[in-house]
Amino acid sequence: MSGFDCDVAIIGAGPSGIAAATALSKAGVRDIVVYEREAEIGGIPRHIHHPTFGLLVFKRPISGTKFIKALLKRCSNVRFETNTTVTALRAGGVLDIAAPDGNRRIRARHIILATGARETPRHPRLISGLRPIGVTTTGALQQFLYGARLRPFRRAVIVGTELVSFTALCTLRKAGIKPVAMIEENRRITAYRPLVLFARLMGVPIYTNTRITGISGREVLNQITVESPGSGTRHVDCDGLIFSGNFVGENTIARTSHLQHNQSTQIPQTDQNWLSSDPAISVIGNALHPADMGDQCYQEGLIAGTFVADLLVEKVSPTGAIMIVNHDATIKMTTPNIVRQQGDGDVRLNISLHVTRPYTGPISVTCGEQILYLKTRRCMPARRITLKNIKLTASQFETMSDLRISLGKPH
Amino acid sequence: MAANPSQETNLPSQTALMWDVIVIGGGVVGCAITRRFALAGAKTLLLERGGDILSGASKANSAILHTGFDAPPDSLELACMQAGYREYLDINERLNLPVLKTGALVVAWNDAQLAQLDGILTKAHNNGVNDARMIGQTALLSREPNLSRDALAAVEVPGEYVIDPWSAPLAYLTQAVGAGAQYRFDTEVLSGEFDGSFWQLSAAGQTFAGRFVINCTGTNGDNIEQICRKPAFEIRPRKGQFLVYDKTAAGLINSIILPVPTPTTKGVVLTRTAFGNLLLGPTAEEQEDRWNAPVERDILQGLIEKGVSMLPDLPQHEITATYAGLRPATQFKDYQISAEAGKNWVGVNGIRSTGLTAALGIAAHVEHLLMETFPGITRFGPAKTPTWPRMPMLAEAEPRAYQQGDGSEIICHCERVTRREIEQAMSGVVPAESLGGLRRRTRVMMGRCNGFYCSARVAELSSKGKISPPLAEDRDQ
Repeated sequence: MSGFDCDVAIIGAGPSGIAAATALSKAGVRDIVVYEREAEIGGIPRHIHHPTFGLLVFKRPISGTKFIKALLKRCSNVRFETNTTVTALRAGGVLDIAAPDGNRRIRARHIILATGARETPRHPRLISGLRPIGVTTTGALQQFLYGARLRPFRRAVIVGTELVSFTALCTLRKAGIKPVAMIEENRRITAYRPLVLFARLMGVPIYTNTRITGISGREVLNQITVESPGSGTRHVDCDGLIFSGNFVGENTIARTSHLQHNQSTQIPQTDQNWLSSDPAISVIGNALHPADMGDQCYQEGLIAGTFVADLLVEKVSPTGAIMIVNHDATIKMTTPNIVRQQGDGDVRLNISLHVTRPYTGPISVTCGEQILYLKTRRCMPARRITLKNIKLTASQFETMSDLRISLGKPH
Repeated sequence: MAANPSQETNLPSQTALMWDVIVIGGGVVGCAITRRFALAGAKTLLLERGGDILSGASKANSAILHTGFDAPPDSLELACMQAGYREYLDINERLNLPVLKTGALVVAWNDAQLAQLDGILTKAHNNGVNDARMIGQTALLSREPNLSRDALAAVEVPGEYVIDPWSAPLAYLTQAVGAGAQYRFDTEVLSGEFDGSFWQLSAAGQTFAGRFVINCTGTNGDNIEQICRKPAFEIRPRKGQFLVYDKTAAGLINSIILPVPTPTTKGVVLTRTAFGNLLLGPTAEEQEDRWNAPVERDILQGLIEKGVSMLPDLPQHEITATYAGLRPATQFKDYQISAEAGKNWVGVNGIRSTGLTAALGIAAHVEHLLMETFPGITRFGPAKTPTWPRMPMLAEAEPRAYQQGDGSEIICHCERVTRREIEQAMSGVVPAESLGGLRRRTRVMMGRCNGFYCSARVAELSSKGKISPPLAEDRDQ
């Protein structure tokens, strides 16, 4: 084939992008380039100094910075271009690229989007109050402290109790910033319950069943107001407010492209082999399932990269009938969110999902009248739930029905 | 920025630090008036209590350049809006300011509103907006296919446009500075004395002497007016809350979608912004506080409901920002602009929600009023030949710095702001001296991530400028 600038262009150098590059390179694909818009490789883990990485990949806990270094050691014959932004994704494997040394348009035989996730910040949460300096997110805080070596405030409140919220707690302590309190809207924390003890040992109160109802300070944050059914309204003095977790996929490039998206989640349609509606484009990592662990993203990227390598030598076919995966509103998203038949055969797949509120009970996967999966599961928000070994037959693809995932018994 | 003003003057008995005109208040109106007098040859000083221009009412509006089709007939507001509209379109290209020629549709959503469209059309024609016309449901929905089917008909006003509400006033002040004007931020005027020839204004521990004072203090207008006279009006701040949707939502509409107005408010508008977003708002809420405008969750949720009733696909799009502004309304409908003949004072008050459109027209009116009221002044000095500063282009539809390849990396990924743009905004003729000023000059941190990706880099870069208060302190100290 001619007219291509590279074999595979990967957008995003976080764990999943690095993994895809590694797998492609190992499979013998020659010309692989990873575009990273930040100055440094590594995505979100690059600024995380706590040992919340490595358990799956290296069988031991290591920090995010070390995790990335270790991953890069396994990745050779790959070109990384930092400070390089992909500004548009087009049909035919075309990317528009902006970089300090000039803008250009390139064409790749295959593109992999690995653009990651970000936390939901203040404004989309519709938090009442003024707009002072000092309101931020965990990701931004870590970049302040570890990237720029700047301290944005002295006394901070953390909103949220996901695992990432507790890394924010550690980050504050390490930087000499006083964690004043953690605030959780629900009755229990989102992360594993023992972390309550961890916060207590640090002397940080967790206010559950509590909402933030006000932000004060004309220029610089000086106080927040919180409200709970039990204790009413109270004011908390602080000059920092960290909105943690509630991750959303950073799908900007996909959203403004020709790719199809899931109607309810607006996540790019992606099949069980991470191919999007355009079979020359894959989507992987936390852009699809905000936000799983870095290790999980890495493992997924390896499998997705291997599939792309097979695709490039035409060992597998990218075409086939497509079935949409629908789900209840209490399911945040599923991965995959479409299933694509390979030729005219059956398909076996795993489906992972996140829930929006705690749930214990049956989960079912149905196709028309047929029940493909029914098991009792315990689900917590912000954690991956995997439904394993679901089989779709060729005749089910012919019925043109959707796949339906429900919390509760099938109707 | 504290150099002595020019020695050149034709007014007698002035010392080097004597200003011809002191403008109080650096909103869009104050900036336009400063420009007007500076270009007319007056030694002009602008005093602003905030850390940047546009710290009050002017920082939050719907960014529409209005034709005046629905303004009160024969009002000063209408005259200033139409003069301002014309002058903006006359100068915007030379200042590199964008115009998004969307047109507007005043949409009727029920029979009662439908019955009012004829009156709106007649008023538009009477106001000289002759290209306004009625369009029926079929034409309306083919032009705006994403609108709810409840839309019945509309008055189309082709001349309603969208502009950049922050770069325009910055351009006015930048051009004024090019003509010799000066400005002071963080300088709140507390009192003043008039000795029969000159005003001595006290602000930020200093005294500023000027021959004429022009009060453009927006929501503080009646308080500042007390320095000269008993105000004939009372400021009744009216809060407006807005929601900004992500750039993916801008394609949902082609035109500005206006409601049929009620006696108290123009109502909730849906409009694209020059920056490529979709804007929903404002509310209209009376409040006492002159200075602080918090957003409120319940009100924002009500706004969203209102928006969804007009655009059912809205929930598929991310909200990127919420904000609130205060309009300096008074008990009167019209602007409250008047000169105090014996005291060399002009009050420019009650500029409600049309100030962005009208500012240049108000400036021309105020200059005329001053010359008329004080006939001894025929001119201040030789009129300046204007220089035309080219503003950084922030509009989505126009080539941005990153697209032209300015040789530096993108720092703010949501709004695609380059490092060089940030550096230049802190070193220009009117450099950013606050985070708000930096955001308005570049759009940095204004996008969907609210600074998740870029705020640390922005803090790092801004520590090389004069940004106050700083975003962060050195961690190792």
